Amino acid sequence: MTLTDIPTSSSGARGPAAPYDELIEAQRVHGSLYTSPAIFADELEQIWYRTWVYVGHVSEIAEPNDYVRKNIGPQDVIMTRSADGEVHLLLNRCAHRGNLVCEADAGNSSSFRCPYHGWTYRNTGDMLGYPFHGGYGGRGKLDLGLGRVPRVGIYQGFVFGSFAPDGPTLEEHLGEAKGEIDRLVRLSPEGEVEITAGFLKHKARANWKLLAENETDGYHPQFVHASIFSVAQSGIGALYGEKSTAVTRALGNGHSENDLRPEFRRIGAPLGWFGTTEEKVPEYSAAMRARYGDAAEEILIEGAPHVMIFPNLFIAEIQMFTIQPLAANLTVQHVTAVQFKGAPEMNKRMLQQCIGSVGPAGMLLADDTEMYERNQAGVAELRPEWLDVRRGVHREEIDERGLTVGGATDETGMRGFWKHYKHLMTEGRAQ
Amino acid sequence: MYIRPDIVGNEFAEVSLTIDEEANSRRLRLEDLKTGKVRYLDALELETLVWLPEGNLAKLLDPSADRWREEDA
Repeated sequence: MTLTDIPTSSSGARGPAAPYDELIEAQRVHGSLYTSPAIFADELEQIWYRTWVYVGHVSEIAEPNDYVRKNIGPQDVIMTRSADGEVHLLLNRCAHRGNLVCEADAGNSSSFRCPYHGWTYRNTGDMLGYPFHGGYGGRGKLDLGLGRVPRVGIYQGFVFGSFAPDGPTLEEHLGEAKGEIDRLVRLSPEGEVEITAGFLKHKARANWKLLAENETDGYHPQFVHASIFSVAQSGIGALYGEKSTAVTRALGNGHSENDLRPEFRRIGAPLGWFGTTEEKVPEYSAAMRARYGDAAEEILIEGAPHVMIFPNLFIAEIQMFTIQPLAANLTVQHVTAVQFKGAPEMNKRMLQQCIGSVGPAGMLLADDTEMYERNQAGVAELRPEWLDVRRGVHREEIDERGLTVGGATDETGMRGFWKHYKHLMTEGRAQ
Repeated sequence: MYIRPDIVGNEFAEVSLTIDEEANSRRLRLEDLKTGKVRYLDALELETLVWLPEGNLAKLLDPSADRWREEDA
């Protein structure tokens, strides 16, 4: 498969859809980047159908022949585990007439039979056969299979796909963000995360970049989330204050994080990051201390990461979001509670907190989504054309890892996002 | 709760059948109780078995079709 096989922009144009050098400045970005259908089509080609995109987790297809329906942007992807244990990313499109082969969100089957004319495929994507083979000159005459995402990469059980047959490896793409995934995984007493709590899908009538930028925006929580912080008597709001020692860090390749560890270290309470104590989850605490020994104290104090992995994976401590762009003004957020293998006590609490914050009646995501949709309406207004991303630029520093670091409320993450975006859309374009 | 599997057995073979709920959809778990060998069959595979003509099934029953073959001995 080549990139030209993938339907993208309606115009089919391969050149830049806009003068990105002019639209993206160091401290401001142009509103049309969020509203233009032509730019959205260009993003599909240059970002979503080229770079590494998070698809799913191996724990969602734990058994041989398990499958789940996932996506890469508008592309409908079936993530399968074949009988030999291999993970495959297949496109949900029959090779015959292009019908959807899978309808259910999940199942267990060694093969998929298209409901239209009965063409049948192994869960590796290989063709098994077709009805009334005489019409094709006999059995095994067609060398057609399901489309495949050309590259599949797995890091700590997180499965990513890339439509580009070559390019940076997954580990190169993740770069400094790998350590944040490692931090999440080590909070399991068995060193594994499980994505088994099921997903909620939230539709936002907004551009996907508003979501990606917001995930590590430490400036908005005290305003947008003031109600949940007050109801829950939470100290989280203070972590994103001007006096906070927490930092915002651009991790490179468009990834960013709110690193809250300086605050958690200062407070020095194991599980304080989760708003609980070891006494309330004794089995989990014992299991962690048994596995990690002296290091457990630091792990339990520092807690889980708050990291946005470009372009679509957001790990917010105990919740995981994937961002699915469908149009310039339409995005779906797929949300689930992170679960730690071997930690039923914690998992129950994490699920409860997740439902409380991002569930159907949750008090966190609804507030964010309200902002996304208002923002989408606002950026369509004709003046003043630009969005400002300069906050904290004068007080940024380079840390010992060579990464740009700003204050807890600074827009360092957004500037890192736009730097990478601009690269992909200009000199880094697919040739 | 442990549910005793149903067993289909005679003087030639003995196989237990359970409906397995561990995967992303139900499947049939078959265990050859003489050897402990286990096979899972999903819905489409079971439907295929239902439609397998006697002649094709007979071919599979040939002891050397997939088991007890010289090259494997």
